[in-house]
Amino acid sequence: MGTSSIDEAKLARILARSGLNLTPEQVHDLLPGATLLLGMITRAQTSMPREAEPAVTFNVEQR
Amino acid sequence: MTELLTIAEASRRIAAKQLSPVELTSWHLARIRALDPRIHAFLLVTEERALADARAAEARQMSGGLKGPLDGVPIAHKDIFNTAGIRTTAHSRLLEHNVPTEDAAAVRRLADAGTVLMGKLATHEFAIGGHSFDLAWPQPGNPWNPEHTTAGSSSGTAAAVAAGLILGGTGSDTAGSIRGPSALCGITGLKPTYGLVSRVGLLPASFTLDHAGPMAWTAEDCAILLQAMAGYEPDDAASVNRPVPDFRGDLNKGAAGLRIGVVRHFHETDNPASAATLKGINEAVALFESQGATVREVRLSSLAEYNTCAFLIILADMYAVHEPWLRSSWELYGRIFRNRVAIGGLILGADYVQALRRRRELCLELQSAMTDLDLLMTAAQAGEAPRIVDTSTWGFLELPALTTPANLTGYPAISVCTGFGAGSLPVAMQLIGKPFQEPTVFRAAHAYETATEWRQRRPELAA
Repeated sequence: MGTSSIDEAKLARILARSGLNLTPEQVHDLLPGATLLLGMITRAQTSMPREAEPAVTFNVEQR
Repeated sequence: MTELLTIAEASRRIAAKQLSPVELTSWHLARIRALDPRIHAFLLVTEERALADARAAEARQMSGGLKGPLDGVPIAHKDIFNTAGIRTTAHSRLLEHNVPTEDAAAVRRLADAGTVLMGKLATHEFAIGGHSFDLAWPQPGNPWNPEHTTAGSSSGTAAAVAAGLILGGTGSDTAGSIRGPSALCGITGLKPTYGLVSRVGLLPASFTLDHAGPMAWTAEDCAILLQAMAGYEPDDAASVNRPVPDFRGDLNKGAAGLRIGVVRHFHETDNPASAATLKGINEAVALFESQGATVREVRLSSLAEYNTCAFLIILADMYAVHEPWLRSSWELYGRIFRNRVAIGGLILGADYVQALRRRRELCLELQSAMTDLDLLMTAAQAGEAPRIVDTSTWGFLELPALTTPANLTGYPAISVCTGFGAGSLPVAMQLIGKPFQEPTVFRAAHAYETATEWRQRRPELAA
């Protein structure tokens, strides 16, 4: 997300872009969790060298 | 029958023809009828199937053809494990009428070992949405005090084992769902090394963090269950093709010579544990040292780092799995599940990749920290089970779980009861081993369990 604050309107827009069109009441219900999750996303954005790839994600020998 | 048995003891008596599998099964079916209306561990009791399985086991017993230590032993499965011809719901209205045509690999393996299938067990909805109050079936209460939570998501298995309704069962663990309920219900539960037990036929939560594993009254019983569950399954891309060791092979070696690292900051500052939990860990350290283990303190990244990384992956994975049904069937999900998963829609591709990169760093950190250690020790839960009415929707994001490091890294980890807290409910430690070193994890847990009194105490409801 790259942002650490959110309100209901912004949350509704993001969820709609993700395919979820929710009522204002439903969005309101999600806001506390969304705020906590944004904090986690920010925490995960530590600086890393460009070449730091998640090498555990692909194996050429597929099964 | 008048007493609760462990799997190991029931197995010995069945092998010696001192115990009839039909009698054992009938006795536990009667307990389910008597006690389950108070704790709601079962979503479905498969009585006819159980008696048929028991009669078949008894025939093998009489002919000298027992399949092994699980033959004739009553177990049940968390209701996210597919069972052929038997409803599998994930405790969700969405799958209320879902009847799989094939068994999950772990279910098939346990059936092949001769177990008696008693039924399907409650779970937090799709293994993440609990404790919920708006599902089609109630969620379990803790047998030590049914007004308190079992934790989740393998809640029914933990409650059923603690109440003595079954001798063991299956659980799944994506962020602590075997070890959490095992800790709060005072039983023993192992999350195996990633890839050791196949997830074929397991309804998914998060593809690279999901683990299937055993839950039972003792570490020895978990080892017996794991022996049947473990093994290569080519249909699971993560399943490892390597020999399965004898999980009871090191059970009686004691703790002498083990090298144990205590990650004190996990349970003292990152997620501060209760006085009873700390006392249990300190007494376990003293016990292991008295048996000849060496114990030292270890520092890792904070629990929040592990938790952040794990939940960015879990929530993105779960959103990907459930997105079509969230769009079409929002009201069929429980409120807590759909809210927890819907926020996964906020996670961008770049956030997900960043979490994967961070995961690799944390895996390397843990590997390095354990170079000269056999086990890590911390709490399995921070304290006793809270009251059900005090559980919160977003608690899992507010305070980092003590269990996520082993999911993120794939390392094996076990929850072991270390006593009781101020509210007379169980507390527990967690032992984390190196990959595929389950025999060492069981060895330490068994050394502790046989040297302490906690395996002798059952919930009053179960007595």
